Amino acid sequence: MHITFKVRRFDPNKEASQAFYQEFPVKTQPGMTILDALIDIKARQDGALTFRKSCRSAICGSCAMQIHGLNRLACETQVEPLKKTTLVIDPLPGFRIIKDLAVDMESFYEHLARVKPYLINEEPPPARERLQSEAEFKLIEDPIACILCASCTSSCPSFWYDTEYVGPSALTKAYRYNFDSRDHGAGERMEVLDNKHGLWRCHTIFNCMDACPKKIKITQHISNLKKMVVAERY
Amino acid sequence: MHYRWKTGMLAWVLFRLTGLALILYLSMHIWVISNLHDREKFDLVMNFLGSWQFRLLEIGLFIAVIYHALNGVRIMIVDFWGGAVHQARIFWILAVIGFILFIAGAYPMFKHTLHWMQSSKGIARHTTLVGAPADSPFTLEAHNV
Repeated sequence: MHITFKVRRFDPNKEASQAFYQEFPVKTQPGMTILDALIDIKARQDGALTFRKSCRSAICGSCAMQIHGLNRLACETQVEPLKKTTLVIDPLPGFRIIKDLAVDMESFYEHLARVKPYLINEEPPPARERLQSEAEFKLIEDPIACILCASCTSSCPSFWYDTEYVGPSALTKAYRYNFDSRDHGAGERMEVLDNKHGLWRCHTIFNCMDACPKKIKITQHISNLKKMVVAERY
Repeated sequence: MHYRWKTGMLAWVLFRLTGLALILYLSMHIWVISNLHDREKFDLVMNFLGSWQFRLLEIGLFIAVIYHALNGVRIMIVDFWGGAVHQARIFWILAVIGFILFIAGAYPMFKHTLHWMQSSKGIARHTTLVGAPADSPFTLEAHNV
């Protein structure tokens, strides 16, 4: 199959208004992913094409980008099942573009750090390990799959509008620790969550759940956090 | 910036738009009610609002109310009862319920408007709002066309 890739190009040495779509014809094969195609373009057509990649197996979360209007991982999205003769590739929306498909993820990591995504437990650790029951683990099993690819946060209209908003990814992390039976940090995370740039910016738009490559029930976890905050504060 | 439209984003944008429409309607409604103390002024305003254009807009208001109310139910199901994973299905089920409510409510409204349009063409010069006695302050003067 011959498919035309329309890739968003942006040169940091030029004005933002000079960003444009460049067309690259690609001969595809069954099983070929978007990332394979981009690597092919970089090797044969334009060595200056810039994008992030690393593991090629949906574990590192580097290659998230907007594929034909939806945030997806380039390495696990195959070209032919999309059944398109022209495929539009954009960088993740909502972030500053560094070059072509590479975006500035600094704000994403800052928001993540704000919710303290680590175990907070002042008790001295027991001799072996902090144990959990199976039921306690079930609560946090789903969000543990997060690979921090930023597909969710970047797909969120609330985040496009308010860059101070911590975003669905950081909120899912907050859920993962607040609902962890071994963690005592819910009080410390409260101020970031119960804030107009926190939980209440989530308007249940569901772009995040659609975008998540790990099918994490993000909005459901945010709703549970909302209930927790309401129960404790209001 | 662009993003492909999915059920959730559509539901959210429509929720915002109908919310704004309802706020606009409410402030207009309060203004209309504020004319109640002056009979002549009220009749004038009601005469204007009784025109068929406004009656059709009333059907639009009905759509906005149905949508806003039902999507509010959807958000409650999502936020309180863990309906997040079924949100798209809930949207379409409520859309069907909303459509049935719309047909049931809009049919009599539309029939009344049609009747009104015919009567204002000269069949009847005077008419009243449904259920209002002829000598009540709610009596409407039809357009003299």
